[in-house]
Amino acid sequence: MPEMRMMATTGMLGYGYTEEAFRRGLAQKPDFIAADGGSMDPGPYYLGEGIPFVSRKAMKRDLALMIEAGIEHNIPVLVGSAGGGGSDPQVAFVREIAEEIAREKGLSFRMAVIHAEQPKDFIKQKIGEGKVAPLGPIADLTEEDVDESHRVVGMMGVEPFQKALEDGAQVVIAGRATDASIYSAIPLMRGYDPGLVWHLAKIIECAGQVTTPRPGQDCVLGTLTDDHFLVEPGHPDKRCTRMRIAAHTLYENPSPYHLVEPDGTLVTTESEYEQVDPRVVRVRGSRFEASNRYTVKLEGVKETGYRTVFIAGVRDPVLIAGIDGFIESCHERVAGEMANLGIGRESYTLNIRVYGKDATMGVREPVRRTAAHEIGVLVDVLADDEDTSKAVMAKARYALLHTDFPGRKCISGNLAIPFSPSDMPVGMTYGFNVWHTMELDDPLAPFPIDMIDV
Amino acid sequence: MARLVDLAQVLRSKNAGALLCTLDMMFEDEATYRRVLDSGAINVQRIADLYGVSDNEVSIIPYDVAYAIKVTIPRLARSGDPADSDIYGAQQHAPLLDIEIPD
Repeated sequence: MPEMRMMATTGMLGYGYTEEAFRRGLAQKPDFIAADGGSMDPGPYYLGEGIPFVSRKAMKRDLALMIEAGIEHNIPVLVGSAGGGGSDPQVAFVREIAEEIAREKGLSFRMAVIHAEQPKDFIKQKIGEGKVAPLGPIADLTEEDVDESHRVVGMMGVEPFQKALEDGAQVVIAGRATDASIYSAIPLMRGYDPGLVWHLAKIIECAGQVTTPRPGQDCVLGTLTDDHFLVEPGHPDKRCTRMRIAAHTLYENPSPYHLVEPDGTLVTTESEYEQVDPRVVRVRGSRFEASNRYTVKLEGVKETGYRTVFIAGVRDPVLIAGIDGFIESCHERVAGEMANLGIGRESYTLNIRVYGKDATMGVREPVRRTAAHEIGVLVDVLADDEDTSKAVMAKARYALLHTDFPGRKCISGNLAIPFSPSDMPVGMTYGFNVWHTMELDDPLAPFPIDMIDV
Repeated sequence: MARLVDLAQVLRSKNAGALLCTLDMMFEDEATYRRVLDSGAINVQRIADLYGVSDNEVSIIPYDVAYAIKVTIPRLARSGDPADSDIYGAQQHAPLLDIEIPD
């Protein structure tokens, strides 16, 4: 079997890569180039709003080089989880950038746009068939959860990419997809060993993450043969080390030995890692255990209310020493003041975090007494409408600033407030309420493909 | 007796999805890795106590090939929930630093 080469430009479209590494990678004649475009790490907001978490300018820069090179060398260009969450508006955002690039560079190509948003009726039907299950510590998905959700995406496997390529797409802008599917689709079509394919794909989907020295994202090249694969950085000053490559399956996974994909599991228990030269690592022995069921992950969010945020510093040592009781009394005071306005405690969530004490780990913080000479108070309010959110915050700010505490001498104000305006409305917020798997009969059906001649 | 922070090359935490937090301890060489692993100091009960979770919520997987020990626990709250304080889960490793490893 001939060698097959692929280039991952960046671990996240918009996080960047160097042109030097990219050109050097292209000179090695990759069979395709690709980038992951998404992650749920930034939390539920971006999927909820349907917007990216990188700038349009950064995304366009990363995508333009890839599309230009793809057309010039006549190789496919794949982007998965486009726009961050891979929902319809996020995919449309990337599609529009691709069309703009084509116009500006005078390029024409066949482009596939693959959708990943899941209709509520379809998910409910699957719940009814018993085909939906929790993915981790979360309750069974109910029809009410689905009704309550704002947006749900399904995570596609390789099949929609493969269909798009079979139908002649040169550029594929896909919605939510497993990171490794982006890189596995083409090699699996060509018959390479699925264990090696999925493992290589899993390693290079984070691109520069597997190279050293670490700083910055950059291109990584993967080369498949019939019995091993090689990983090397695009950039001449960077290296892939055996340890870094072996360690990569630890990253963001509950197990480094078993990585679950829609149609089976990558098993690395017998994988062998070998340093070929100072920059290149060879891997053999990875296996793929096919499953008899095809399951995709569902990720969905619901609206959780309008947030207003306020931050201030406390330098008074008496107040720092008694901060817990003080905050408790402020909660009471705000509740009383809001009751006077006819707004009950059930209408809002008031959260007061103390940085310098336990704001990062909450009840899991083992250090119970702060030694800090100053602390930060971060207040956030969630409410069903923006007016209530702002009203609660105005009372909370006043309470924190002017509530008495034992031994108080700073009677003109308890806080150093750094900004005017002090209260920051940040709009609607979202929470994950769907984190499940859904069994499919047809891996293509929930991921419709638009073919576009750009 | 040594503290884990003095023996480990990497001590990190990160989301493994929106519901789980995964903690990786990585060591420079096999001897150090074996010393920590064989000491039994990284055990389910210790992790459960440190993070206030129950025993059956803790997973510990030694990963010989990278001289690493992976621990996974539930997040305190789902990523992005009102009670969440660490969306990426990247700063939940500190309680591991002081675990004492016998000589």
